[in-house]
Amino acid sequence: MLSLALSNLTRRRLRTALTLLGVAISVGVLACLLAFGKGYEAGLGRELNGMGIQMMLVPLGCPYDAAARVLKGKTLEVSLPANSLNIARQEGKVEVAAPLLMATLPRPAEGRTDLWVGIDESVRPLKPWWKMTTGSRWFPDANSVILGAEAAATELRQVGDTFFSPETGRKFTVCGVLERSGTSDDSQFFVPLATAQEMFHQPNRITAVAIRLKDPTQITEVSTRLQQVPGAQVVTMAEMMGTFLNLVGSVRTLVSAIAIVALCISGLSVFNTMLSAVLERTRELGVLRAVGASRSQVFCLLSVEAILLTTLGSTLGVVLALATGRFVEMGVRLFVPMAPADTLLNLSREVIQQCFMVGVVVGLGAGLYPAWQASRLQPVEAIRID
Amino acid sequence: MVVAMYAKQNEGVHERVESKVLVSAKGLTKTYRRGTEEVRALDGVSFDLQQGEFTAIVGQSGAGKTTLLHLLGCMDTPTSGEIIIGGHSTKGLSDRALTQLRREQVGFVFQHFGLLPTLTVMENLLLPTLFSKREAKARANELLEQVGLTQRRNHHPNQLSGGEMQRVAIARALINRPQILLADEPTGNLDSVNGEAILQLFHQLHREGLTIVVVTHNPILADATQRQLVLRDGQLVP
Repeated sequence: MLSLALSNLTRRRLRTALTLLGVAISVGVLACLLAFGKGYEAGLGRELNGMGIQMMLVPLGCPYDAAARVLKGKTLEVSLPANSLNIARQEGKVEVAAPLLMATLPRPAEGRTDLWVGIDESVRPLKPWWKMTTGSRWFPDANSVILGAEAAATELRQVGDTFFSPETGRKFTVCGVLERSGTSDDSQFFVPLATAQEMFHQPNRITAVAIRLKDPTQITEVSTRLQQVPGAQVVTMAEMMGTFLNLVGSVRTLVSAIAIVALCISGLSVFNTMLSAVLERTRELGVLRAVGASRSQVFCLLSVEAILLTTLGSTLGVVLALATGRFVEMGVRLFVPMAPADTLLNLSREVIQQCFMVGVVVGLGAGLYPAWQASRLQPVEAIRID
Repeated sequence: MVVAMYAKQNEGVHERVESKVLVSAKGLTKTYRRGTEEVRALDGVSFDLQQGEFTAIVGQSGAGKTTLLHLLGCMDTPTSGEIIIGGHSTKGLSDRALTQLRREQVGFVFQHFGLLPTLTVMENLLLPTLFSKREAKARANELLEQVGLTQRRNHHPNQLSGGEMQRVAIARALINRPQILLADEPTGNLDSVNGEAILQLFHQLHREGLTIVVVTHNPILADATQRQLVLRDGQLVP
């Protein structure tokens, strides 16, 4: 039965190929969608957990926007007074409270804008992925700078090099270059906090305080107390993650709608192919009935053809997703907030199984009516058709 | 079981053999609608077919020959009357039972051969066994040898001549060892040489005891049968 169904599909090769392509594209879109969704969630969770930050103290305004900007290396319009850091550090349940001052430095001559980040040593436990390719482990003096891997490559600087920053009128010595981490750190310039405050005329101001608790279960209690810091607000990482996932969820709903439309179109394409096959092969189906095929066997034959079509299409779709996923990922990264550094395409066995199941169900659904119609053919009527 | 005596003519030798009725048609009528007009394709046709008999159904176009053949092959049901095959009436049988009857008792040969173009000769031959779920490779080889197409077993129908295709179709009709072989214009699409080859094949099958009914316009084929049922306007000419 299977080989008969397969041989029937090879009869109209172009039509079969186009139908397969339609199924493959829709299943590919679905596979990418599911894989990206899972990859994004897992990657974001890993990255946020990896930081070991449970909450951030940010200036009043939209807390999620502020936290996202800090995490992804963008500046804020407003800043926190330095005593917010002291208040956070005095909170007994806080293990680490690390200040961050972030500022952009336009470089019109080079046509780009650099991001400078003022930090102190307390930030090191929150950046476990930091590895120096070369240089000392920390700032030996106030005019030292640690460069992210991309920043060093762009500036063509190595450890020991000195360079003058005309915009700030300061001369810096490169004391370290970070290994590439795939995070926003790669393109940043790190200087001591006091230096950054001086450079950007923000004395005693910071952009945010990243906080790790001794016991993460006490997050609600600590969060309530830190909400009292004047001019500051707290945003927890769980809230951040929920917000990002909701945002991505909205995008996913939209893309799901597109995938469903694509699946419907491919289902209709399978339906059209199968119905055409029944009409074209009416006489042959009559011969099958005449030589002893029962209604259910004819129904089964046509259903197998439809399932074969969508199973092959689904296989191609998964291959398509694997082959093109990385290029799609590059595009997706431009629009997704807080895209994790890890690959977003998580084409797991579960995702592949789900895609196959959807493909087969669509095929079966689309093939039902043509198969039913074929099974209802009376042998004598079918044979009479010229 | 009805038993009858009939004269068998074979290569000029007349002999009396005892036989039994394999198929009995009783008052077969078939009407269908063509637009607003009701067409009476068959009108009260009754006859018996003896086991091992070689019969031709002849008549002008539109006389009801093919309709009668389809009724005998259980591919259609009469408007009234009944067909008894092997002593069992087919009247009121379900589609499932009729399918089983076609599969096990009847072999059908079409004027247009009815071979599936995507299948090889061997696969076409084994097609009915796909539905009866029988292992019939040996039988298929035997039939291919009988119709002289052993060398063509892996060819596709488009690589065969008309005569070869019809021989494959006959072999396919015999794969399930039917009681009766029904052939609709088996030489209609063949030249005289191939037509003669098919006729010889029918003779051989007849000699082996198979009951054969052919619908034909070919007088050579009709004359070669034992008996002719002449139809005119849906009725048997006495």
